[in-house]
Parts: sequence; structure tokens; C-alpha cells
Amino acid sequence: MPTKSQLLWMYEIMEKARYYEDTMAAAYMEGKSPKFDIGAGPLPGEMHLAAGQEPCAAAVCVHLRADDTVTATHRPHHAAIAKGVDLKKMTAEIFGKATGLGGGRGGHMHLLDPAVNFVCSGIIGEGAGPAVGAALAAKLKGSDAIAVSYIGEGAANQGGVHEALNLAALWKLPVVFIIEDNGWGISVPKSASTAVADNSVRAAGYGIPGSHVADNDTLTLFDLAEQAVNRARRGDGPTLIEVETYRYYGHFQGDPELYRPKGEVAALKAKDPIARLRRQIIGQGVTEEEANEALSKAKREVDEAFAFARAAAYPAPGDALTRVFA
Amino acid sequence: MSSNRIMTVSRAISEAIAQEMRADPTVFIMGEDIGTYGGIFGATTGLLAEFGKERVRDTPISETGFIGAGVGAAMAGMRPIVELMFVDFFGVCMDAIYNLAAKNIYFSGGNYKVPMVIMTATGGGYSDAGQHSQTLHATFAHLPGLKVVAPSNAYDAKGLMISAIRDDSPVMFMFHKGLQGLAWMASPEGAASELPEEAYAIPFGEAKVVRPGKDVTIVSLSMMVHRSLDAAEELATQGIEAEVIDLRTIVPLDRKKVIESVRKTGRLVVVDEDYKSFGLTGEIIATVAEEDPTLLKAAPQRLAVPDVPIPYSRPMEQYVLPSADKIVAAVLTTMKKGA
Amino acid sequence: MADITIAPDLWDANINPEGIIANWFYADGSTVAAGATIAELMVEKTTFDIAAPSAGILHIAVPKDGAVKPGTVIGTIDAA
Repeated sequence: MPTKSQLLWMYEIMEKARYYEDTMAAAYMEGKSPKFDIGAGPLPGEMHLAAGQEPCAAAVCVHLRADDTVTATHRPHHAAIAKGVDLKKMTAEIFGKATGLGGGRGGHMHLLDPAVNFVCSGIIGEGAGPAVGAALAAKLKGSDAIAVSYIGEGAANQGGVHEALNLAALWKLPVVFIIEDNGWGISVPKSASTAVADNSVRAAGYGIPGSHVADNDTLTLFDLAEQAVNRARRGDGPTLIEVETYRYYGHFQGDPELYRPKGEVAALKAKDPIARLRRQIIGQGVTEEEANEALSKAKREVDEAFAFARAAAYPAPGDALTRVFA
Repeated sequence: MSSNRIMTVSRAISEAIAQEMRADPTVFIMGEDIGTYGGIFGATTGLLAEFGKERVRDTPISETGFIGAGVGAAMAGMRPIVELMFVDFFGVCMDAIYNLAAKNIYFSGGNYKVPMVIMTATGGGYSDAGQHSQTLHATFAHLPGLKVVAPSNAYDAKGLMISAIRDDSPVMFMFHKGLQGLAWMASPEGAASELPEEAYAIPFGEAKVVRPGKDVTIVSLSMMVHRSLDAAEELATQGIEAEVIDLRTIVPLDRKKVIESVRKTGRLVVVDEDYKSFGLTGEIIATVAEEDPTLLKAAPQRLAVPDVPIPYSRPMEQYVLPSADKIVAAVLTTMKKGA
Repeated sequence: MADITIAPDLWDANINPEGIIANWFYADGSTVAAGATIAELMVEKTTFDIAAPSAGILHIAVPKDGAVKPGTVIGTIDAA
């Protein structure tokens, strides 16, 4: 059961992540209308937003420490926020500025912050192996730090992910694998990509516990994640959790989503997980004032981060040649 | 006081790893058959017995999994050495190498280091056919973010492996199977060398003139250094003094030493066991041409495997691999024109 | 003077009658320390390290690629 402070923390993180993604969506379109030119504007390139997927980040990261590692996907912002990545440096990185996490070298899909052990990457399934490695490092060092690997339901069919699951199970490593099932691998629904309806059954193939969270429920995931994190910290090995979650935006911004049934997004928004959590936390001892204060604080931090990023300077072009090697 | 030992390359590599593992508890090794077996090509002999199975880990056949894990462990403060059994197997795990290991330092603006060594066996000549005989120096050298090392002898192998382990960037340590000194695969005389007991590090980016000469520059690496030296001996009987350069590391590449030598000799032959087109031999020639094409008195020659899969049948395989005879012929060709 | 003898029970000679000296790690006439690994012997695909029984000057009797059986004396070490 979450404590009051955990409930408030999760709520604030989810509001922060939601507002961040919505702000990013608007900013992304600057310079890209009337003609959508992907290379134009202050945010060129691809953009993959996680609005709707906030529970996956908040309900897991609430149990983590700074020395735990999180590897995330090409849709990373909510997880980065929940892990405590410096929001100003993260936003500056997404805007390609010199004061970004990577000095502008990585951008939105390659946000790396050693201060809180957060990394993400753009190749599907790629984070699973490194999460296993971080867990292995913790074990070899005698630390009880753990690793969390976020992958999508599409990535669950990638070979390297299965290798990572087997390796983590075989060597009994402290990894928690979280599958964010938002139902779509770009335009391909899960029913057309995956041989099983529920990925948690695959855990049995590796001799590890697996569980499934229906309908994007923050509090159910809170409990399952807590068990999985504790199991890992005890040295009892990995766990697989699949979360049925919602993708409000397209796969990438600019995705016309012609493949998506009409009304699907509206139906998901009608049962929005943040609104749901807010009702739940008010009922469990958080006051309206405290919730409103958390929301204001969240928005303020996001606004400050975006202002910081916009005002920041671009790197010198020649910086492109630096920081290749350590 | 004892004389220096003459050690094989495989033992030099194992010794380098053992010495670094003794000195630094964050060094550990994983890969297929690197434990009890000691590595298919002997590169991890004795390590399991000395360090135990927590630090010397046999892995399942899961290259993406364990090389990806190597990256994660390196970024979490360890110094993993990961063996990719045959370089030819990179196809099943290249993403973890060139998109992860090679790029995470850059993506993080230098905030992360990736102190990982990927060691892998290269080379053919013993009829292991197209998927187990490749060298692929250029494949890894071409992709930014990896240091690439290819020693030709035991002394260099030990010093370069120690440097690789101490390096905070990812290093591809490419060792030729035919240089290892394994009892079941013949190796050239010069591969084993006197090996100091103590740990020593050879810096990257320093090619070595292994045979000085004034008439022609032969640039090579790995196994082909030995073929080049054999060719140089034959050429000497014909009154031609060849200067043989052993590159030792491809990334970083000691272009300066190559240019210096060609400035002196005016003639260039490049020998590589990798495929010919779009590779190392072209890169060395381009290096000289970019510096000053007038340095060359005659067209440069290059020897490499022609752009075909490496054939199985012995006469065909020997046909595609560079040899001392072919190097001699190439030198004679380049000596024909000009002054 | 000490003999460098291949241990009589090092491998089952009924299965593999012979092994070969795969490598000598010191040149003939070198000074070696007691216990140093001075040679390796291969039986089929298994290798065995051969240690110097004492310190002194190495004299090689069976060269590289030479065949050996259990009990073969492959060299001697003279006290320095």
C-alpha cells in the first residue's frame, strides 16, 4: 500500500510528465506549419511522446533509488522525469543546446544522465541487455542496487530481449522488466505482432514470475512493482511485468494515425489515469490543496525547463567532433 | 634472475587479462566457452581457475544479450572484457557494438565512459570457410566511437590488451587465430615473442617500423606483418630493401608514420587480410594521396582478399589470401616504374 | 641436474598413445626459475603446462612438435 507521500509523489510526477509531453507537442509544431517539414523549427527530427503512459513510469520509479539504473525506450520522457533526470538539462538536450545532457549530441531519443543512472536509446529492445549488465555490475560490487528495463510490447518480440531475460534469470540478476503495452507497434496492433495476448506468460519460459496490469492502473502497478523491486533487491532474481497502457499521441509526432480506429483515443482519455489517480489520492488522505500545489509545482518546473532550454545557446558546430572517446 | 620467456600470443593475452584482473577488481570477463575451456582460441587460459566463476563467466549463446550487458556493466563502473568468439558473428549483435558501446560516450557528451573491451578472433587460411575466416578490420574501424587494435605478436598483444582494459572507451581487440600459437593451428615464427613478466601498456596510435628500409614501404597489420617480413627477406636477396610498418592499431591510426616512410621510399604496398574494396588498404593509400600524391614515384599496390566470400577449398582459399610471394610481386611491380 | 619428465599418469595412453610438444617458452640455454611454466604439451586438443622442476639452465631434448609419451624426458635443468 502506498504511503501518502508516495501517492502525492506519483501524482506530481504524472502531472509533470503529462504537462511536459503536451508542452512538447505544441513546441514541436513550431516552424512546422503550414507545411510539416520534419527538419524545421526549434525541435527538428522525430518526437515520440508518452502521454497516457505515465503510470508505467511513476508506479515503478517510486520504488527506486538514485543508484538504481533505468534503461528506457525511444519514448523516454515520462521515465526520465520519474527517475529524476535534471529537467533543464534534459529539455536543453531535446532542443539541441550546448547545456543539454549530451551537449546536444544525443537529442530526444538518447538522453543519458549518470547522476541518476538513466539511459535510453532509439533501437527497439536495445535497453534490455544493458539493464542486465547494470544489474550484474551491482551484484559483482556487492550492492543491492537494481535495474529496470522499459520495453514496448513490440520490443517483446525482439531476439535480444529474450536473450536478456534468459541471462537475467540464469544468473539471478536484480532486473525488473517492464513491458509498456500501448497496443501499437507504430501501426501494427499487438494482435498482429505477438503470438500471445499477454506477454506476462512468457516469464514462465524463463522460470521467473510474470504479471499483467490491466487498464493502466497506477495502484495495481505500484503493488506489483514493489514486489518485483524487493524481490530483486533480496537477490531473488528478475521479474517481468506487462502494463496495458495508453498511447494518446501517434507513434511519432506527425503520425496521421490512419490505422487507428476512430474514437479510440477519446475513449482512452475518458478514463485518464491521472484523473483516476487524483480521485483515488484525494480519497486516501491527500487534500485538494495539496494536489493543486503538486500540480502547480509540476507545471512550474516544466515551464522553467522549457524556458531554460529555449534561452540556452546552441553548441559550436565544431563540438560535433568532440567527446567521441572518453 | 631468469631469462625472458618466449610466450605465445594466446598466453600473452591471458596474462595481460590476469594481471589487470589482479590489480583491478572491476575487471571481469564473459563470453562463450571462456571459462573451463579457456577460450576457443586460448585467450582466457587459466582465468577461471584463478578468479572463479563470478568474474569469469561462460555465457549462453546470446551475443546481443551479453554484449549489451557488457555495455551496461561498463557504464555502471565495471571494466568488462567480452569475447565475441569469431568476428564473423558480429552480425547477430552489431547493434550493441556500434550503436550502443560506440555511441554512448558521445550521446552523453562525455558524461558516461564505456570502458569495455570486445575481444574477437579473426582470420583464415585453415579452411574454415566463408563464415569463420573473415578479418573485418575495416568494418569496425569505419564506425565512429570504437578503438580498434590488431596485434601481430605476443609482446604487442600483451601491451595492447593492457592498454585496452585501462582505456575508458570501448576497444575492439582483434586477434588473429593463426597468430595465437595454438598447438592445433600453425603460427609464424615471429608471432611468439619475448614477454616481460611485469604489466606494461603500449599506447594506441603508434605504428612500428618492424623492418627499416629505403626502397619501398610495406604497410600491414596482424598476420600480414609476418607475410610482409617474409617478403622483405626475399626482396633483400634481390637487392631491394623494404621498410615494413606494423600498424598495431587501426583506430587511432598512425597516419604520420606511414607518410614519413613513403616520403623516404616513394613507393607503397599495403597488405590486409580483410576484403579489398572500401577498406583499410584504400584508407592507407588515401592517407598518402591526401597528404601529397607526388610523394609516390609509382602507383601504390594493395593486396587484400578480393571481394568474394572466403572459399573453403584449400587451393581457392590460398588463392584469395595475400602471401609473401604476392607481396614480392607487388613490390616488384611498384619498383618497375619511375626512378 | 634435474630431468623434466612428462608425468606417467598425465593422460591415458591407452586412448592417446602420444602427445606433442606444442611450445617451448624458453630458448635452449635460458635460465629458468623453479616452477616456471616452460613448455606446453598437447594431447589431442587438450594442453598441459609443464613446469620447471628446479631452477637453472634449460637444455631441451625434445623440440617443438616432437612426439612424447607419459614418462618421456623432454629436457634437463642444470643448476646455475
